[in-house]
Amino acid sequence: MTTTLARDAAPPDAAIRPRPSKWVWSWTGAGVFAVAALLLVVVGYLVAGISSGSVDWTALLTDASWSPPNAAYGGLAMIYGTAVVCALALILAVPVSWGAALALSEYLPPRVARLLRMCVELLAAVPSIVYGLIGIMVIRPVVAWIGDVPGGDSLLAAGIVLAVMITPTIVAVSVDALTAVPDRYREAAFSLGLTRREVIRSAVLPLARPGMRSAVLLGLARALGEAIAVFLVVGRADGRLPTSFDGFLHSLVHPGQTLTTKLAGPEPVLAGTSGPYFAALCGLGLVLLAFVAAATIWGTRGQKRGTSDKRAPAFRGAPRMRVERDRLAMGLRLGALLLPTALLLGMLALLVTRGSSAFNPSFWFTSATGAAGGGVRDQIVGTLLLIVTTGLIALPLGFGAGILIGVHASERVARLLQTLTIVLGGAPTILLGLAGFVILSSTMGWGRSWLAGAIVLVPVVIPVIALATSARVRSMPPELTESALSLGLTRAQFIRSVVVPYAWPATLTGLLLGLARAAGETAPLLFTATVFFGAPAFPSGVVESPVQALPTHIFTLSQDSGDPQAVTQAWGSAMVLVLITAVLLSAAVALRNRFEGERWTT
Amino acid sequence: MDNVIAVRQLRVLSRDKTLVGPVSFSLERGSTTGLCGPSGAGKSTVLRALVDLLPTGLTRDGDLQVLERPIAPGKGDADLRAKIVLVPQTPVVFGGSILDNALFGLRHILRAPREVLKERAEQALREAGLWKEVSDRLDSPAQNLSAGQRQRLCLARALALEPECLLLDEPTSALDEQSRDTVEQSIAALRGSRTVLLVSHDPAQVERLCDTTVHLDQPATVSPAAAAVS
Repeated sequence: MTTTLARDAAPPDAAIRPRPSKWVWSWTGAGVFAVAALLLVVVGYLVAGISSGSVDWTALLTDASWSPPNAAYGGLAMIYGTAVVCALALILAVPVSWGAALALSEYLPPRVARLLRMCVELLAAVPSIVYGLIGIMVIRPVVAWIGDVPGGDSLLAAGIVLAVMITPTIVAVSVDALTAVPDRYREAAFSLGLTRREVIRSAVLPLARPGMRSAVLLGLARALGEAIAVFLVVGRADGRLPTSFDGFLHSLVHPGQTLTTKLAGPEPVLAGTSGPYFAALCGLGLVLLAFVAAATIWGTRGQKRGTSDKRAPAFRGAPRMRVERDRLAMGLRLGALLLPTALLLGMLALLVTRGSSAFNPSFWFTSATGAAGGGVRDQIVGTLLLIVTTGLIALPLGFGAGILIGVHASERVARLLQTLTIVLGGAPTILLGLAGFVILSSTMGWGRSWLAGAIVLVPVVIPVIALATSARVRSMPPELTESALSLGLTRAQFIRSVVVPYAWPATLTGLLLGLARAAGETAPLLFTATVFFGAPAFPSGVVESPVQALPTHIFTLSQDSGDPQAVTQAWGSAMVLVLITAVLLSAAVALRNRFEGERWTT
Repeated sequence: MDNVIAVRQLRVLSRDKTLVGPVSFSLERGSTTGLCGPSGAGKSTVLRALVDLLPTGLTRDGDLQVLERPIAPGKGDADLRAKIVLVPQTPVVFGGSILDNALFGLRHILRAPREVLKERAEQALREAGLWKEVSDRLDSPAQNLSAGQRQRLCLARALALEPECLLLDEPTSALDEQSRDTVEQSIAALRGSRTVLLVSHDPAQVERLCDTTVHLDQPATVSPAAAAVS
């Protein structure tokens, strides 16, 4: 008898896990770095800023007067402005969005609904600077007419702009929650003789409600963090705080200031990089980040709880006039859908008629001349340079983070990392810009640099890639994992030959969606990377090498709304920017539809 | 003897293509009728056609009379579905207690005080053969019930509406042998008092439970002549 080579057999009850290998850990490290470190940089920058000069928190949170020359740093008026603007946005947007979402998922025939859903997703990806432009050109005059305010710059105008901006987001995410309710619930309720309205109320909404609630919180997070669109219409007047109800109504139709618009103004550049002035601004940033993070975390919480909403329906007899109520509900919901549809058509009409210069090829291929003439060739080149660089940096990091969440992390760690990633994705981009300005432009002495701009945009793209990748990896059939691992693959081999081929379309989709977002970002670039005029199309170094970019171009031109020439140029540039985003987005959608119906846009 | 439902030359079409049928039958009051046929013949689709719950894209064709009244395709409404109640194949249990589930439909249809509703629920649970098992925990979540109990709960909430006719879609296909027997007992107990149309792929089950049987065959492929006529 010869003895066979003794090989350590795995205990039969051991859970199937891939064997670890070294290089994967370095990748994992990159993933951790990407998510946690970026968040730490933003928070750390704010904390460092605060500790560079003592912040009087009581004054910051309770005092309304902001006057740096007199060393008065009270932020209450800005917090009030932010609260009012966001509350207005939610009051206007939520009923319409929920109604429209119900119409899309429960009333319209599937083919029409699918088409409209695609349009809604497209609207959700339109850069906020374009919404800001619409605010200036359309909403401001309307508010000026209603409220008898010269110019129309007011909290009300800002609230309406934000409502218009977040409606597509809330509709898209709510429709997802509604369509996730299995049809057998509807059938079971219908077959018991319920009307459509009763089916929705008793069988569909109990399951969809958590998702619809987190759609609202996601919209709220967007509204809280939005700087540019608000900046253009809010009037930026400091220290306005009403003391009575009449004063409150009065304040609605008068200029105000919000946290984000204060940070997007010229003050961060004037404040230097230490001292009480700078510290107070960082304090405001921290307050803003706390608001946004709270909304985001609350929102993802609701989604996790999912179907556990077991509130017992109230015990009541049948209402009278069931058929009439059913018809009324249908009318209201289909009516609610008209608003976003009208918005879509109106926006298209505006862009096409006002931005007609974008259809002239010379607009794409000539440089700008003077303040408001010529084409936008250099701006297009600059925008492309920024997003390509951003994509190159973000792709490996986002993919690493996605794999980390999807493959390696335990259930609890994965949930934590996922929440962190979502918070990073929801972080107000103006804060990313300020952190980049202080760290890259000032401390490292890069000045305005295209590379700084690209780096600042990286945190915008990483979460989209990471979440798309991890969602795809998590949806991998367990048989696939099991059969691969039972062949004795190491973790690295497993990732290379099973996970990557399965997940790459999702990663690429995430990259394209993220870049579509990054292309329209204005706030992070203003201080770090872009100038309006006078930079070469291609920068030749890193230090003090700014570029021109489309969002900055539109932002600067739109503030000069008295000059018809500038307005034409702004609309033309907006059309070009929308076209670039649309191309990226349709590529992403086409890619996604090729392998499944899921969506990751938020 | 009056017919609760009478169907003549019923077909289900997708555009102009016949997917199911034609089939003709009538359900006598108080009888239990079996609907059998090979899988894929469209037995469940016929049930859905009777209450106008066909998936989008499918349409009904042929005569349908419910309680001597003709129902045009697409004109079935909540009132019809409260009289002719379909119990789907996989039991769907809604959030809330067992009592909430038993009253899920009735709550919307009957305007009555709480006690009356509760009484109707008890009656229905007894009729479905579930009362003994759940009478002491009506307020506990219905999600905790076993598969066989869930199926009988779905039966009970249909019975609570006091329907003219019950359409049962393979009520035992998702169950193990033991729960199958209890559900079959419940269905057998309805014989004579309720009008039932039972879809089943199991000839032995139809033999055990039904008075008459309707056979549904795969639709003949459309002949060129028929295509030319349409």
